[in-house]
Amino acid sequence: MRAGFTLSDRAVGLLFIAPFLAAAIFFMVYPVVEAIRMAFYSYNPLRPDLSTFVGLRNFEFIFADPLFWDSFWQATVWTLLSIVFQTVFGVAIALLLHQALPGIALFRGLLLFPYIVPTVVIALIWRWIFNPEIGVVNYALQSASLIKEPIYWLSTPSMAMASTILLNVWKYTPFVVICVLARLQTVPLELYDAAKVDGAGVVRRFLDVTLPQLKEVLIVVIVFRTIWTFNKFEEIYLLTKGGPGTSTFNLAVYSFEQSIANLRLGVGAATGVVMMVMLSIGSIIYLRVSGFGQDEKSP
Amino acid sequence: MTRIEFWTLTRRLASYAVLSAVTFIVCFPLVWALSTSLKPKSEIFATPPTLIPHAATTENYKALLTGRPQYFQSGGQQVTSGTTPAQFFTRWFVNSVIVTLGSTLISITISTLAAYSLTRFRYWGRTVVPYFSLLGYMVPSIIFVFPLFLVMVQLNLTDSLLSLVLGYVCITLPFCMWLMWAFMRSIPIEIEEAALIDGASRLQVFRQVVLPTALPGIIAAAIFSMIVSWNDYLFGRVFLNSLDNLTLTVGVMLFFEGTHVDWGLLMAASVLMTVPMAILFMALQRHLVAGFGAGAVKG
Repeated sequence: MRAGFTLSDRAVGLLFIAPFLAAAIFFMVYPVVEAIRMAFYSYNPLRPDLSTFVGLRNFEFIFADPLFWDSFWQATVWTLLSIVFQTVFGVAIALLLHQALPGIALFRGLLLFPYIVPTVVIALIWRWIFNPEIGVVNYALQSASLIKEPIYWLSTPSMAMASTILLNVWKYTPFVVICVLARLQTVPLELYDAAKVDGAGVVRRFLDVTLPQLKEVLIVVIVFRTIWTFNKFEEIYLLTKGGPGTSTFNLAVYSFEQSIANLRLGVGAATGVVMMVMLSIGSIIYLRVSGFGQDEKSP
Repeated sequence: MTRIEFWTLTRRLASYAVLSAVTFIVCFPLVWALSTSLKPKSEIFATPPTLIPHAATTENYKALLTGRPQYFQSGGQQVTSGTTPAQFFTRWFVNSVIVTLGSTLISITISTLAAYSLTRFRYWGRTVVPYFSLLGYMVPSIIFVFPLFLVMVQLNLTDSLLSLVLGYVCITLPFCMWLMWAFMRSIPIEIEEAALIDGASRLQVFRQVVLPTALPGIIAAAIFSMIVSWNDYLFGRVFLNSLDNLTLTVGVMLFFEGTHVDWGLLMAASVLMTVPMAILFMALQRHLVAGFGAGAVKG
């Protein structure tokens, strides 16, 4: 062994994990604990010295606030529709890309690209192409005689909801594609050959061979996407700011507005706690599905 | 041409047709943004709109990169008369680069060390930590952004790039940790044992054997981390306020604060913001499936 300092195995092990534990406590555990604590306080960021313990008053406030429930239901609709479209398009595109064709890598690259485009950029582009007077989408629809009057994509409640869903589907369908594609590459080809010998057509082969193989990955993807989509902030805030009015508010936007615009950090935090409770339920489902603690070897 | 060849050819052509149509729809918003960014002001509002600019110009890019004031005056927050957001573009770009690289470097270092420790040493809780980390990255940013902001207030770091670096470590560390852990445990331990028997110290083994083997995982984690940091809006919006210190995502949204929206300039800014991610994405392509396979997913 070379001269110089040597560390025992145990010391190296602890030394290497120490920065992570410090960061985890400082950046993850503490803020979450603090967020939960704030939910029980009346907290004004301009006068932190005046914060007082209010018990469950913040929760009583949000549960009595019609806007909270509007946000909740709008988030539910937003999430459900986004997930349905993402899953259907995601599987369809993955199947299209899972073919041995020359040049398929180019298509795959282009179709996955939206996933890495900054949300700010997508929101800006959306505002430009969906502009009612000068946007190219209305122009195209009008010149194809599909509509007579321009559609106010971002300034009528239902269309604003549709536009944010479209943005969300556009950006995150690639996520489903990547996961499904990775799984498709591990489906044994013999299964298809056997099905072919049995005389199964394309549709039957998809329903009887492909879909059962995809079941597991789809459950995981849907649980993950549901959790993340329900809690999305930027995808809505940057496009509509929750408007027109409050028609595209979800719980994240509600929490943000309570904290920033109304300076009610306690109410915002209480909303966050409600979101975390729902998230935990989703996580438990995920851990069940992924078989946590059952098989130590496979990640 | 046999019947089978005929059908193969037909199927291929059909596949290409569908793929091209889907790719066109998916990529159209980005292509339109690029097209708009290259148009002179007179052509942006032309009817019918042109996909390929008749008189392509780089004036929008020049205005952003040289900071030349545009013809409109913006009335956004802290914009003094005579200045426009465009003048700060290069500054914001540099800020974004600093924050992205800084937070990625910290996240990668911490998570690589921790993953090594967790997979090579035996101590209490080592199998639970990665799963808690996984839960950590499912918690939406909106919940801990305000508590973390209050931490920054106490540390006197508000409105500084350092606060943002620490904030991004907070959102990227959990999934870097999860990815590195999944990657490290798949590296066979025998090579290290051989090196140890040959008389190398733990630290030598880590530097010369483990790090090179773990490089693909490190690259994948770094790319994900950079994408998340570069694309974030929420943390920048809450942590920063002086014009000089903003990052691109927060700064470019200020372009909307004026009475007149310069779409050519906005689309040029969008393109410039996307280019670094596009370059990363090309590098990412190879690592994409490996990374996602290991569970490094964040959306």
